[in-house]
Amino acid sequence: MLKLAIYGKGGIGKSTTTSNLAAAFATLGKKVIQIGCDPKADSTINLLNGDPVKPVMNYIREFDEEPETLDPIAKEGFGGVLCIETGGPTPGLGCAGRGIITTFSLLEDLELFEIYKPDVVLYDVLGDVVCGGFAAPIREGYASEILIVTSGEKMALYAANNINTAVNNFEDRGYATVKGIILNRRNVENEREKVEEFAKNSGLEIIADIPRSQDIIHYEDLGKTVVEGDPQLQVSKVYLDLAKRLLEDKE
Amino acid sequence: MKQVAGLISTYSSDEFGICSALYELGGMVVMHDASGCNSTYTTHDEPRWYDMESMIYISAISEMEAIMGDDDKLIHDVIETAQQMKPKFIALVGAPIPYMIGTDLKAIAAVIEEETGIPSFGLEANGMNGYLSGISMAFDAIVDRFCKKEVLKSTQTKVNILGATPLDFSLNGSIDSIRRWIKNIGMQTGACFAMGSSLEELSKAGKAQVNLVISYGAMEIAKKMEEEFDIPYVVGVPVGKLFAATVEHCLKESLETGKSQVVCQKYKADIRSEKKAAIIGESVYATSLAGEIEQQYGISCEVLCPLETEEMILRSMDKQTPEEDDLMEALEGMDIVIADPLYKPLCPKKASFYPLGHIAFSGRIYENKIPDLIDREFEETGGLR
Repeated sequence: MLKLAIYGKGGIGKSTTTSNLAAAFATLGKKVIQIGCDPKADSTINLLNGDPVKPVMNYIREFDEEPETLDPIAKEGFGGVLCIETGGPTPGLGCAGRGIITTFSLLEDLELFEIYKPDVVLYDVLGDVVCGGFAAPIREGYASEILIVTSGEKMALYAANNINTAVNNFEDRGYATVKGIILNRRNVENEREKVEEFAKNSGLEIIADIPRSQDIIHYEDLGKTVVEGDPQLQVSKVYLDLAKRLLEDKE
Repeated sequence: MKQVAGLISTYSSDEFGICSALYELGGMVVMHDASGCNSTYTTHDEPRWYDMESMIYISAISEMEAIMGDDDKLIHDVIETAQQMKPKFIALVGAPIPYMIGTDLKAIAAVIEEETGIPSFGLEANGMNGYLSGISMAFDAIVDRFCKKEVLKSTQTKVNILGATPLDFSLNGSIDSIRRWIKNIGMQTGACFAMGSSLEELSKAGKAQVNLVISYGAMEIAKKMEEEFDIPYVVGVPVGKLFAATVEHCLKESLETGKSQVVCQKYKADIRSEKKAAIIGESVYATSLAGEIEQQYGISCEVLCPLETEEMILRSMDKQTPEEDDLMEALEGMDIVIADPLYKPLCPKKASFYPLGHIAFSGRIYENKIPDLIDREFEETGGLR
């Protein structure tokens, strides 16, 4: 089972990248689960044609108890990708990090992996590794590899560096390791060079270079990933190539 | 109202269930909790505290350590202490604060084991679940880390006792009585999880031919040993004379067939009284007691279980009653109520109340008044009137 966590600065395109990657794995015939780990609960929306799944925290808030089966909190989207969202507490209250841990523990109790038997699991994580809860996806038993999404913008690279440093701090704990960087272009001047420099200084590899594309925005407006919308487009092929490479490396 | 107890006490927590289960095994048990929680365990829930040494520690986590997620202090303190005390294992026990901040006790234990070479494990209690889940986690870790499938079985018939802690059995001699009873029925006690047996003895649990489960806290390891070591289990406590005889019959049957069974599903009772009795408590002990009362007195006896259990242990008339309101409703119309004295406020006025102290519920308050009912005529302890 290939288990990947996707981190990166807020707004950098993690959910877009994760959903397209999920759609690419599904297009290659793989059984995929995507778990959105963000209180905004919008990670999987473009796999579900704009019809969202009920986030786990919303279910618990509404019914004042944990669900007894996966049915109310999991929904199949494009290519059979099983979509789950942790959601979070009422904005401004509670502890979102704890919400992620509780969701993971619940999914374990509900035997998600044993029942669904996925080939690929993708964790789309809110921004930075800000506290224990947001490190949960990279703990033993969850993701084994991390992909960092960044553009050539200064603050995106700053966040990418923070994430890489945090992961390195955990190296004696058997946590996931950083597999590489996904460059999600924002048309910054000398963008490739800037990200290459960061990659070189961090000892990391740029494993995908996703062009800025109006097609992504077009299909998102239709509630789809670009891979679903038109797999023949150049940008879709980048996601498909990345998915193939990740599968090959795993083997 | 859900999760509101206005009249009664609450059961001991998972954190203390772990401490109780591991108390006698020579390991270092560290509650990762604020200082003060330790004394709740030692003062109220651990009757061995003043007479038997054990390496139970508390990390005394502070506000700033929690905010900063400073695991290094815990790791350093545990390693330094372990190097002096040389425990046989190190158990890091979770509590409300590490639970909320998401401390990864399993990863920290791996770091400590790497540094000290001492088997270490993290047990993710949160101080909000019941003691039985803590006992279960602790025993599971012991079986995982120290017990292995024994190819050579004992030449004599050996029975492991699973689920012995003072939280369920106090220190009134019940566990010694179970050992004597096992000898009297022509068998030997193997390992006793976990009173009166060393870690070395527990590690040889795989030599036994059958397991006797005396508390729900040991159900998980019984199932694990059945699956991994081919040891069948029998669930029941040999209370009274008639029920003890049924447990003996089931043990011998399971030895022959290799199949597991729950004793309270096996006895037959001639109900000849119009009275109705209720027993409140831990499911394995309470259903065993119900079996003895039904057989001896012919009084229909319903178990009301406020704790974790599962369907196969309860009989058709028994109920899970996790809330105070459920209990009050279930007690309506009962003529006899057998329960810890702290349940008396829920007892209907016309019912006769028989106190049966349970350390996990009332701590040590009634410690000296808990009868040893193992393999013994109830009339010797006053019986039911």
